[in-house]
Amino acid sequence: MEGDERAGGAKARPGRLTALQEQLIWALLESGLSKDILVQAVGEMEKNRASVGVERGERGDGESSEEGEADFPPPIFREIEKLPADEVSKLRTEVDQLLQEEPWHVAKMVKSYMQQHNLPQREVVESTGLNQSHLSQHLNKGTPMKNQKRAALYSWYVKKQYEISQQFTNAKHGLTMVEEQGEETKKGRRNRFKWGPASLQILFQAYERQKNPSKEEREGLVEECNRAECLQRGVSPSQLAGLGSNLVTEVRVYNWFANRRKEDAFKHRLSLDTPYGNQSASSNPALPASPEHGVKFTQQMSCDTVSSARSNGGERAGRLMVSPIQLEPSHTLLESHNPKLVSGSGPLPPVSTLTSLHSLSASPASSQSLIMASVPSVMSLGESSLLIGLASTQPQTVPVINNMGGGFTTLQPISFQQQLHASHQQPISQQLQSHMAASPLMATMAQLPYHMYKSDSPPYHSSSLLSQAMVIADSSSLGTLTSLAAVRQILTTDPEEQTDPPLQEDSMHLQPHTPVPVSSESLELYSSSQTTERHQSHLLSPSPTDISSYMPTQMVSTAQ
Amino acid sequence: MCHSQGGWGPPAGKIQSLTEEERAHILPILRSAQWVEVGGRDAIYKEFVFKDFNQAFGFMSRVALRAEKMDHHPEWFNVYNKVQITLSTHDCGGLSQRDVSLATFIDQVSLM
Repeated sequence: MEGDERAGGAKARPGRLTALQEQLIWALLESGLSKDILVQAVGEMEKNRASVGVERGERGDGESSEEGEADFPPPIFREIEKLPADEVSKLRTEVDQLLQEEPWHVAKMVKSYMQQHNLPQREVVESTGLNQSHLSQHLNKGTPMKNQKRAALYSWYVKKQYEISQQFTNAKHGLTMVEEQGEETKKGRRNRFKWGPASLQILFQAYERQKNPSKEEREGLVEECNRAECLQRGVSPSQLAGLGSNLVTEVRVYNWFANRRKEDAFKHRLSLDTPYGNQSASSNPALPASPEHGVKFTQQMSCDTVSSARSNGGERAGRLMVSPIQLEPSHTLLESHNPKLVSGSGPLPPVSTLTSLHSLSASPASSQSLIMASVPSVMSLGESSLLIGLASTQPQTVPVINNMGGGFTTLQPISFQQQLHASHQQPISQQLQSHMAASPLMATMAQLPYHMYKSDSPPYHSSSLLSQAMVIADSSSLGTLTSLAAVRQILTTDPEEQTDPPLQEDSMHLQPHTPVPVSSESLELYSSSQTTERHQSHLLSPSPTDISSYMPTQMVSTAQ
Repeated sequence: MCHSQGGWGPPAGKIQSLTEEERAHILPILRSAQWVEVGGRDAIYKEFVFKDFNQAFGFMSRVALRAEKMDHHPEWFNVYNKVQITLSTHDCGGLSQRDVSLATFIDQVSLM
């Protein structure tokens, strides 16, 4: 046609474009397509075409087109089943912007957003296909993540923000929107409810006031908590729908209180693993059983190990010597140091206690217990621990972990946590973890380290919650005393109690004044794997003198 | 002519054709823009001539993109640099606001 002769067929001015191409591009640009989106789209299309072409080549089949698309962008890009809307391009641009930022900065943003809204990692993993461990490491520690995966993560993030803001704005109290939008309806699973920190604070405070609130009170708490949660998310307190699966309801509050009460009861029961159990006003039928059980258990254990390492102390299995109070070593390896009352509770520990063991208070007199290193028993015993009793008025707890060489093979980390609502004592925070070392420790005759507690601890026993464990440490590991989390200052958290080095020395040389011979091997401290920094201060009493004033309770590790 | 194809739009057939009043007002304007009324049907027609095929087709591309957005498509014919367009609304069997709107757009674009 005549057109061919004209310059129409030749390359036009703008670079390598033909006139028609130019025209078409202009047409596209004028139609509202932005340059960026155009470029992006071109990129994607080329990718798809490439993968499709590859697939086709391999199969020579029509079906490949779909699979090609599935493979190239990670097939698990489901989270980009974004609601088809104008939002899509907006969200995509946001994702791109995030990808330009510092990965660690964005990770922090995402993480804090998840915390703020109490979103489980599980949800992210499910909708992005990312590996959960990798995700966790990336968010918490900044472990690098490839761009494509980060794109998936950011896409989820951006989409989630959109969803949640929708939930909040469409806060129909019927929560119908939430149900549809929230979790994957195809799975029919909602995210598991999780208590937020703000709510927990409110609940614990209420718990201190009253352990058994009435329905009205519970409902009041429901309101309070939801309000707090909304505030935490920076939303008006009336927009409950946005809380989604983390909405606080009366039932949840009820359950929370019930669980706490069970937890308390269980704790007390544990701490009463002692002959003194009867002292408590409320006798727990289960109590007599447990101490015995514990004792026997320990004894067995100790016997095993004792045989291997004899100390000059004779047959003392982890005896706790308390100056004023002489505990019968042979009997009770496990001595509950908590004469405190334990309301009878069932034999089964509340679920939550398995995750957070609370420290028990123990009177100095009776507070001694050996923590057996056996896994199951120790765990279930919770805080039963050997208390190295010191001055009668001073509750002291030394976590002892009896390492029964032969008998124990497992390292038992025991953690004690502060009981937030200790009766009237100052909050005791203790986190105790100790590991039982394996046999090598057995052999070592370690000095006895003790952990003296400050004298300020109230003299009465019943209420003190001490979790104590005897930690049998290696002499070599004594150097790591400072890092020992096992020995925990139950009573106080005075930061001043931090004279580790001197203490160590002292402890090394402490000699028991009690008639009970203290064998040099008595205590072996195991450093716990826990972060011990925070425990350090509690482990050792501030001054050596204190120590000497205490009856060195020595836990004979192997319990002679 | 337009066909509403798929999509979310309101069900086809709900388009109203221009009222007499509107016609009386709009048709003169269109006429002055070289749109003529087609005989035998309620439609308007115009012919466009461009410098060359590229321009013509560029024009058509723009119109096409717009038509898609509006969900209202023209009847047209193209030979090289000429484009003949007829506008009518199938759903109401005659002229509607969409035709008028598209016609206006077409005029604008043809001048680019």
